[in-house]
Amino acid sequence: MQITKLKPLFYTVIVLLALVGSLMYFASIFSGILLILAAAVLYFVYYGLSVGKGASKALALSFLKSLLIPVIGVASALLIGGIIMAVTGYDPVTAYKALFYGGLVKNWSVSVLNAAPLIFTGLSIAFAFKAGLFNIGAEGQYYVGAVVATFLGLHFNMPALLSIPIIFLVAGLLAASYNFIPALLKVKTGAHEVITTMMFAQIARYLSSIFIRGMGGSSDGPHPYVTDPILKSNWLLKMKSIFPHANYRVHIGILIAIGMALFVQYILTRTKFGFEIRAVGQNKDAARGQGIKVGRNIFIALLFAGFLAGFSGVNQVLGLDHKLYENLNAGYGWDGISVALLASNNPIGVIFTSLLWGVLAAGGQYMSRTVQTPNSIVEIIKGIILFLIVAKYIYIHIGHKFKNKKKEEREAVK
Amino acid sequence: MGAKKEKRVVLETRHVKKQFPKVLANDDINMVLYEGEILSLLGENGAGKSTLMNVLYGLYKPTSGEILLEGEQVEFSSPKDAIRQGLGMVHQHFMLVDNLTVTENIILGSEPGKYDFIDYKTARKEVVSISEKYHLHVDPDEVIENLSVGVQQRVEILKALYRKARILILDEPTAVLTPQEVDELFEVVGRLREDGVSIIIITHKLEEVKAISDRVYILKRGKIVGERETSQVTKEDLANLMVGREVVLTVHKDEKEVSGEPILQLEDVVVKNQKGINALDGISLDVRPGEIVGIAGVDGNGQSELEEALVGLLKLESGRILYKGEDIAVLDTKQRRGKGVASVPADRQKFGLVLPMKVSENMVLGFHDEKPFVKGINLALDTIKTHSERLVEEYDIRTPGVEVPAGNLSGGNQQKVILARELSSDPDFLLVAQPTRGLDVGAIEYIHSQILKMREKNVGILLISLELEEIFSLSDRILVLYEGKIVKEFLPENTSDKEVGFYMTGGKKTAEDRA
Repeated sequence: MQITKLKPLFYTVIVLLALVGSLMYFASIFSGILLILAAAVLYFVYYGLSVGKGASKALALSFLKSLLIPVIGVASALLIGGIIMAVTGYDPVTAYKALFYGGLVKNWSVSVLNAAPLIFTGLSIAFAFKAGLFNIGAEGQYYVGAVVATFLGLHFNMPALLSIPIIFLVAGLLAASYNFIPALLKVKTGAHEVITTMMFAQIARYLSSIFIRGMGGSSDGPHPYVTDPILKSNWLLKMKSIFPHANYRVHIGILIAIGMALFVQYILTRTKFGFEIRAVGQNKDAARGQGIKVGRNIFIALLFAGFLAGFSGVNQVLGLDHKLYENLNAGYGWDGISVALLASNNPIGVIFTSLLWGVLAAGGQYMSRTVQTPNSIVEIIKGIILFLIVAKYIYIHIGHKFKNKKKEEREAVK
Repeated sequence: MGAKKEKRVVLETRHVKKQFPKVLANDDINMVLYEGEILSLLGENGAGKSTLMNVLYGLYKPTSGEILLEGEQVEFSSPKDAIRQGLGMVHQHFMLVDNLTVTENIILGSEPGKYDFIDYKTARKEVVSISEKYHLHVDPDEVIENLSVGVQQRVEILKALYRKARILILDEPTAVLTPQEVDELFEVVGRLREDGVSIIIITHKLEEVKAISDRVYILKRGKIVGERETSQVTKEDLANLMVGREVVLTVHKDEKEVSGEPILQLEDVVVKNQKGINALDGISLDVRPGEIVGIAGVDGNGQSELEEALVGLLKLESGRILYKGEDIAVLDTKQRRGKGVASVPADRQKFGLVLPMKVSENMVLGFHDEKPFVKGINLALDTIKTHSERLVEEYDIRTPGVEVPAGNLSGGNQQKVILARELSSDPDFLLVAQPTRGLDVGAIEYIHSQILKMREKNVGILLISLELEEIFSLSDRILVLYEGKIVKEFLPENTSDKEVGFYMTGGKKTAEDRA
């Protein structure tokens, strides 16, 4: 077919549109959404032309269908949250107006800043889940990434194009190696990674305080210990330097995070490594029986999960804080579990669930400031959403049973 | 026997219909059960046998139609109702509490005695008297877990009789029994018939129908497609009725001269199981190219360990596995497969397939990192897809496509996916374990023919099966595995299933003990 010859052209245009569009959108230039939509439409058109009209329609349908359950879940959570507010004497309509105006428009920049580190930890946990592992210690790997990034950021005097990739890589590798012992124990002795990585997370949290002091951190009266700022050349590019009207804090970390999500998705679906990870995660015995090395895959998966979580720390230091504060409750590792679960461990889904979490957090703050509705309502809504994820699995379970039953019945008449 | 004598009808269904959403599982079933007869209900997996029995037993309500018990219309709202009216059912999977005694199990749910106290004395007496009456010998004080499967089944039957069952439904009763135990069961069933108990046997085994029942209904797609006096019908006719087309029942095996060096040799292989007991206790055997060697034995005598040792999932304690003269015991699974060792595992869902993954992905599982399925680190998705589509075609796998999860396929088609993957790898040695467990006649026929095709191609084949019939129809040589040892070797033409069954249950040992 003629159209397939134009594949590179189509893809270049689509990627460019999507990239520029999201860059604009994340810099709070909301017209960027038009470019993103154009990219999506173009993709469907190309897909339709090259595979067939029906396929394009089916793709769109399956996309919408996959959105159905999460959207219903979030909507019902908001509904329940609204009822709680109404019962306790707050006006849900003004509160929600403030929540979404704050999260999606007014403080959208804060939402974006919230989402980026979550994407990394969410990816870390989602990837481990795919291999049948629960990397509950992503929080610890976050600290390792942050500490290493600070250390290198303080001392690495090189052009940004060189230093930033190196910092990401080195910090990621060290965060990965932080999972070395848990991974080794898992493979050799069967020690459960939930226990080991969790313990290692505790160690990393408190070690970070020591490192801050070791790296010359000081305390100013009531404030926590904090290091000197890292070299300016090691800062991540600010959106402001591309779009002058953008918020001064927003940086391109979100795009790195999205790129990482695409990369993880690629690994899982298109490489032999990802194939083995999925096989091991879904049926160890069959994988082993067919000659796949289960231990090696588990080992690598846990290390790669650490690598991804480490990026989260790097992103915060190079992008946002530019120094390391003594903070024992970053929480990105824990929230990463929520966003990964909410996305059913789909790397692309993690992007959106992280953004949702980011919006809820930023909007919640705005809401409590402007209409004096307690921020805790946001935590309640998050809790309900998470609960509904469990319910989603119940739903799937029931649906599955129903399907099986129907299948049996179908076979009964065969 | 049969309808020649004027017989009393004890159970009758009239136009019974069971409609599930979208599926008609039972359609206009008119069935009659006479007093003191053994009735077989024959049909493939999913023909509607179980649905019908569940309707009779009060688990399902029929959509329409009526059930008449002793000429009176009845409506059971639950199995409890059915039991009260004299129906009893022995399920394929026994419903016994392992750590209670025989008596306790039998009275469970209808304990005699006042208030909250159980009158064990009366209970035990009653159990003993019933078991004497029907010649169902069991020790009333023995704990269930110490009993063999055959005796456990007897306890299940006693349980139904204790509840005064006059109609007994047996669901696939011989599935778990050895030939000797099958004989004993048939004797028991025969005695029950003499005592006027009416029996329905649900089965898909033709021999069973021929061996024991007086009359048979053949079920297909929810409908009764035939009723026969068993004495006046051949197995072939039954099979054709059941499947709806001509079925080759006896596997046609061409005579074949097997010669040459063995492709696989086991030398004094010892393998320990998890408990540290020698599950394989010094096994030696050889398989030559183009030969099918059948391993007969009762489940749990080392079959799974043999399978795992050959594939490389279990380490040998001692001994050697020689493949083409090379010791492969030191190689891992991947390396063995690379040398042409293929295997169809007994537990296909656990060891054979990754059910949530696509059919196409399962088709290349284990070969996904070899050419042509991989390019650099990337999977060659297009090649994998066309390869799988070709295999789906070639092996007649019924699936909506190669992109659906393997778990969506029926058991027979799942097995075909494994078979397609393993056979298409062009092996020189093939291990086949329990290849047809749980499959229907059509699928069994197909899988047997594929195994024989590999024999034609001079592949050495080791067949592990719990189905003696399968062993007999496929094997060139039969080895009996008992407690981790090969206790006897037979040529199928020089022996009988009785003789093999005798050795399978440790007959040789007891014979020697007596001597």
